[in-house]
Amino acid sequence: MSSHWTEPEGEKFALGTLAEQAHWKREYRRIVEGVRGRLPDVGDAGGTVGQPIPRNDALYKVRGRARYAANIEMEGMLHACFVRSEHPHARILGLDTSKAEKAPGVRAALTAADAGEELIGTLVADTPVLARDRVRYAGEAIAAIAADTPAQAAAAAQLVAVEYEPLPAILTPEEALAEGAVEIDPEGNVLIALHNERGDIEAGLAEADLVLENDYAMAQIEHCFLEPPAGIAFVDPDGVLTVMVCTQYPHYHHKQIARVLGRPMDKVRVVQTVVGGGFGGKMDNTVEIAVALLALKTERPVRMVYTREEVFTATTKRHPMKVKQRLGATRDGKFTALDAEYLLDGGAYRSYSITVSGRCVIHAGMPYMIPNLRVDLTTAFTNHVPCGAMRSFGIVKTAFALECQISEMAERLGLSPIEIRRRNGFVDGDTTATGQTLHDVGLLKTLDALEPIYRKRKAEIAAAPKVGSLRRGLGVACLGYGIGYSGVRNPSTARIRVDGEGTVTAYCGTPDIGTGSDMSLAQIASQAAGVSVNRVNVVSGDSTKTDDSGPTSASRTTYFSGNAALIAGRDFRRRFEAAVAGKLRAPADRVRLEADTVTVDNEAMSFKEACRLVADEAPGIVGYGKFDPDIEADILTLKGNPYPTYTFATHLVEIEIDEALGSLALARVWAAHDAGTIVNPIGSEGQIEGGVAQGLGQAVMEKVVRENGYVVNPHYRDYLLPGAKDVPLDIECIFVDNYDRTGPYGAKGVAEVSLIPIPAAMAAAVADASAVRPARLPMESEYLLRLIERRDGAKP
Amino acid sequence: MSVAIRLTVNGERHDLTVGATETLVSVLRDRLGMTGTHKDCCMGICGSCTVLVDDRPVSSCLLLAAQIDSQSVRTVEGLERDGSLSPLQEAFLTFGAVQCGYCTPGFLMTATALLEENPRPGRAEIVEALKGNLCRCTGYKKIVEAVEAVANG
Repeated sequence: MSSHWTEPEGEKFALGTLAEQAHWKREYRRIVEGVRGRLPDVGDAGGTVGQPIPRNDALYKVRGRARYAANIEMEGMLHACFVRSEHPHARILGLDTSKAEKAPGVRAALTAADAGEELIGTLVADTPVLARDRVRYAGEAIAAIAADTPAQAAAAAQLVAVEYEPLPAILTPEEALAEGAVEIDPEGNVLIALHNERGDIEAGLAEADLVLENDYAMAQIEHCFLEPPAGIAFVDPDGVLTVMVCTQYPHYHHKQIARVLGRPMDKVRVVQTVVGGGFGGKMDNTVEIAVALLALKTERPVRMVYTREEVFTATTKRHPMKVKQRLGATRDGKFTALDAEYLLDGGAYRSYSITVSGRCVIHAGMPYMIPNLRVDLTTAFTNHVPCGAMRSFGIVKTAFALECQISEMAERLGLSPIEIRRRNGFVDGDTTATGQTLHDVGLLKTLDALEPIYRKRKAEIAAAPKVGSLRRGLGVACLGYGIGYSGVRNPSTARIRVDGEGTVTAYCGTPDIGTGSDMSLAQIASQAAGVSVNRVNVVSGDSTKTDDSGPTSASRTTYFSGNAALIAGRDFRRRFEAAVAGKLRAPADRVRLEADTVTVDNEAMSFKEACRLVADEAPGIVGYGKFDPDIEADILTLKGNPYPTYTFATHLVEIEIDEALGSLALARVWAAHDAGTIVNPIGSEGQIEGGVAQGLGQAVMEKVVRENGYVVNPHYRDYLLPGAKDVPLDIECIFVDNYDRTGPYGAKGVAEVSLIPIPAAMAAAVADASAVRPARLPMESEYLLRLIERRDGAKP
Repeated sequence: MSVAIRLTVNGERHDLTVGATETLVSVLRDRLGMTGTHKDCCMGICGSCTVLVDDRPVSSCLLLAAQIDSQSVRTVEGLERDGSLSPLQEAFLTFGAVQCGYCTPGFLMTATALLEENPRPGRAEIVEALKGNLCRCTGYKKIVEAVEAVANG
């Protein structure tokens, strides 16, 4: 077998020779120091947490040297593709791959018969590797082909004969839940139903001076990470099956591949390649099992790269959702009751629907103190591509409904949108709807930060002359968001070691998926260890080198893995000091590692000198950190403490709407965040600006269009993404001063949340500008125009 | 059907026999091993595969290699000089214009062409030039700021 690997196995970047590596390391330091001011070489006393250090992986990315999975070439490598279902729901009566197997260049065809009996899935294993006797959505994988070239594989896939007996396709949750509906899943069409209640909902509604009742609907969204899923599998001479894949969670694939293939864990290795965007969409199953099985079958390396059309038709999506909701408030704007019903289209398999559903229920009413609350959620199976995790796990939609209704309530009660939120917003010591008591809540600080801006712009817009059919408006929306998995423990670990040359390596289980988390972890680990950040290499996302620390998702990496890196860094420092003390026969408490320097009484030596001193013991000086906060919640009611902490924010947006066209543009954004301490401001600003862009997309243009069970806009031509002309450059990130007592150096997390308030704030701004209240996403121009026409028609 | 062509890629001459329907991006990635140019939509919309052909930015997924016989191609791998990053590459690094990095080579090539043609573009001209490249991570602000910083010297 010829699986030769020309560069160090698993390197994420084409680093070049040792001399080249040393050169580019110097270049990186020169650039960083020259442009942003000298990079401080200091330790815990004044480390780099809080400093805008440019990410070191960007060096390789701007040079075109990042090894995305589709860039990996191996000798003798085959190319694979899936054969996918042409029907949304059908029995498979026959499957014949014989013609395909005889096609030019074809080396193997894979069917359910090769894949064993094991099912795959993230929380519940419910999905066949390849469909056996039934397909549940159009695009479901039925077979896979490996051939010498991608074109040969694609041509052969066309020759696979599948005989279908079409079944009635269930296209909406309402159809799925109707009596007598065809069952999609053996356990019925209810994927999950959840309920939570606090106080007395009827009493709360009765107590209200005003009750609003509204329906909201939000379309399906595709993640549109720009890198289509890709991976490569090969068996090395020791019999280790290695799968290199773009993923947010390599350890999940490691366990699943071992289970499905019946292979010992130590004979499977999963290496995360550079990830070209994830947003929740790369936590699921794509190419992994198929390339692994094909590599074993052909004894050759096998690579598979999805097409963009496959990304749209066969990867998980954000759930379409409907919300029916009543909100009650007293005359002075205090909320008395929230009664919410959520209905979600889960698609054909479970994927992360259970997580999304749980998060929606826990976050109902967040971030406000609502004494009487009732929430009912149903997620139904349909014959659509499965819905899974996507940035905010559904909260962008529940927040849309809640924040739209609050903005309307404020107007009806004659309160400013900021004031009504201040009167109800969480403060320290408040309890959430699940009964959790909150700490270090910075929500009101975010409102305070925006209030003067809101007043000023409100007056300026009111004073400005109206130009033609253009109208400007302001809108406000808040969010509260739990960090990490919902209601179950999800520890992170880190290990820190050193060599005799003074290079420190931090092994962290959660991978960098393009957000820059490796840089933030390096900053935290180096500060805790007392060494310069320049010394620290972070190794993440390799099942043989790192522990399973959960996925990079749920805004958890800075908080969970950051805490683990902090504990490991301090542990490392203590052990290193003890080792130096041992060599010098000095008492351990007289040796101090700080600011990259070791001091023993009044004598000092550099960290590097100290590393040489303890070189023979260096492999044994390992700092270990585990962060595993108490998390407990009931799986059905979610009562308890589902998250260790919460992050909060308020966004103020200014929009311009053309009432003649219905077109809606985002003009300015002021994003005030309580994310605790900001570890790396460039990174956090980048997360917020990117979140605003995604929020804008979901607000005005993004929608997966499904007709009769088929995605009919599986290309960027018909599924529009925000471009440079759509996203405003006027995005101001405001980080309010707050310190989370449980976070690493006071940090919480910021990744997902910045998209959450944008659609609701834009809808409120439309109401401000044009006196119509959108209740649907996306707010396309036809829809807004219809609302405006209805408004004008209603006028006397 | 195959066609013999000569391409100069980042200053280096290549004599190639290519299929009549082979796209430039395939030739760069699969034949020349230059994987810095990325593939995504293959419809000329996302801009991930942008390269310069005779100094003009093009989507290399839409261009057949046979169409550009004897022309010169520049890719992201050709931006650095003597072991130093180009000013644009450096600005993308320092301004945080890179997150996942998949779109980065395309943006760099588009911006390189812009600044060669118009060394002092205003903000609106920069945004106009970049409108054909999609980025899903950054929200564009830091990319525009990086280009602006180079334009302002």
